[in-house]
Amino acid sequence: MDKILDPRLQRLTLINEPLPAKPELDQLPTFEVFVKSRAARPWRHEGSLHASTLEMAFVFAKEQYSRRGTCLGIWVIATHDLFVTDYADNQTDIYDQFTEAPGCSGEAWEVFHMYKRGTQHTHAGQVSAPTPQAALACARNALERPRPVLNAWVGAAGKFRKSTPEEEAMWQTTPEKLFREAIDYKTNEKIKAFKATQS
Amino acid sequence: MYGGGYLFEKTSPDLLKEEDQEKLAAFEARIDRGEKIEPHDWMPKLYRQQLIRMIEQHAHSEIIGALPEGTWITRAPGFKRKLGLMAKVQDEVGHAQLLYSAAETLGKSREQMIDDLINGRSKYSNIFNYPAYTWADSCFISWLVDAGAIVNQVANSKGSYGPYCRALERICIEESFHLKFGHHCVTYLATGTPRQRQMMQEALNRWWYPMLMFFGPPDKISAHTEILMRWKVKILSNDETRQQWLDMYVPKIWELGLTIPDDKLRKNEETGKWEFTQPDWEEFKQVINGNGPCNKERLAVRRMAEKRGEWVRRAILVKASNKKYVTPLA
Ligand SMILES: [Fe+2]
Ligand SMILES: [Fe+2]
Repeated sequence: MDKILDPRLQRLTLINEPLPAKPELDQLPTFEVFVKSRAARPWRHEGSLHASTLEMAFVFAKEQYSRRGTCLGIWVIATHDLFVTDYADNQTDIYDQFTEAPGCSGEAWEVFHMYKRGTQHTHAGQVSAPTPQAALACARNALERPRPVLNAWVGAAGKFRKSTPEEEAMWQTTPEKLFREAIDYKTNEKIKAFKATQS
Repeated sequence: MYGGGYLFEKTSPDLLKEEDQEKLAAFEARIDRGEKIEPHDWMPKLYRQQLIRMIEQHAHSEIIGALPEGTWITRAPGFKRKLGLMAKVQDEVGHAQLLYSAAETLGKSREQMIDDLINGRSKYSNIFNYPAYTWADSCFISWLVDAGAIVNQVANSKGSYGPYCRALERICIEESFHLKFGHHCVTYLATGTPRQRQMMQEALNRWWYPMLMFFGPPDKISAHTEILMRWKVKILSNDETRQQWLDMYVPKIWELGLTIPDDKLRKNEETGKWEFTQPDWEEFKQVINGNGPCNKERLAVRRMAEKRGEWVRRAILVKASNKKYVTPLA
């Protein structure tokens, strides 16, 4: 085998003994992350992650989903704390399944909609209701929807870790980190000058 | 970064006989209409299985791909290069996490995927089994290997599985920075001092043929993937992606006064296709089966990380023990 000149060291012999089998393939719980990137944009689902606690998930979410551009806030919730509806077929509104509104009071729920397959869920609003199913029945009339909703997620407002207004400061300098941006690596002048020396 | 979707098993229509034909027809009609498939939709077993395999290999490639560049962070020439490379390597590891999540929505847990990687049961992009001897090798990877990955990823982002497409859209935005960063690094070496220039040329000579292999074996000897193409799991053939990359990047390499170590390389103006000396496909087979220069080292490093992180995982699992694992949503 070639000698590796990777500068650190030849790492092949670091672990010789085989690893013991993992006792069980235990997974950390998963969390869902929502980001508000601009004032005029709704909270949008950005993706999932693994963490041990809600607070750790929040820290990871900041690293994973807000490295670039602007960010006004992050919401994180455990996946199992979200109520998920079926996926409706096109043109069918998932709200057709939630018609009976009991009293619209009680706990506060955040409701997210997906309008088209392949797109991300966005925040539609908050409603009060005793259960997530009831929340959807209440949302049916209370929340605006420009077109039929294909799939909805509902989570108790209190189960989210939401960034506070003071925490917004942690994103203040993100746009200044130009070393992460394509725009900071211009080559045109260098190449032009090089070509001039060649001809 | 990534090499993509050439490690499929032979798929034959026979595998679909057991499926519910009505559901299968509805599934295919949905894809034909250009709609995405979402995690809770019905899907044929073969679709699920091949997607898991492809997305998982992609995720592993991001992790392993971060290793050759990662070793250069501390020796990158200057603060600015260190910052840029660190940001890039962080992105790559982030890509792996996005992809593991997308694969998890199909029912394979992240822990199982990582376990399969470190025990040699999974594949990843072949190119990362070659060593990065000098800083110039790292620059080659940042620019040209990532460029190849972008060709694959842009194609795959038009695929049929919603969570994979969404992950790829995020990834492609970050790749545009990787590409520019890499091009900047290569440009400064190629137009620098004679020694820098020579260093860049030598790295290019080392990586040329592994780079051609990156896109997978020629279509005429590849496993049949018609069903996967019809289901938009695989979008472009190996030859198509290779040709796209040659078309976009050979002129840019030449522009920097570098030479490509192949006398036969030329664009046939009649066919519009590039002609080139084929890489050694026997070597490709050897490397992918574990006999490349760095296969053992790459997995040893992952095993080291696994071992050193064990106590941390155990400690935080205690806190998490009251939570039940459920697959992520999208
Ligand atoms: Fe990547
Ligand atoms: Fe990349």
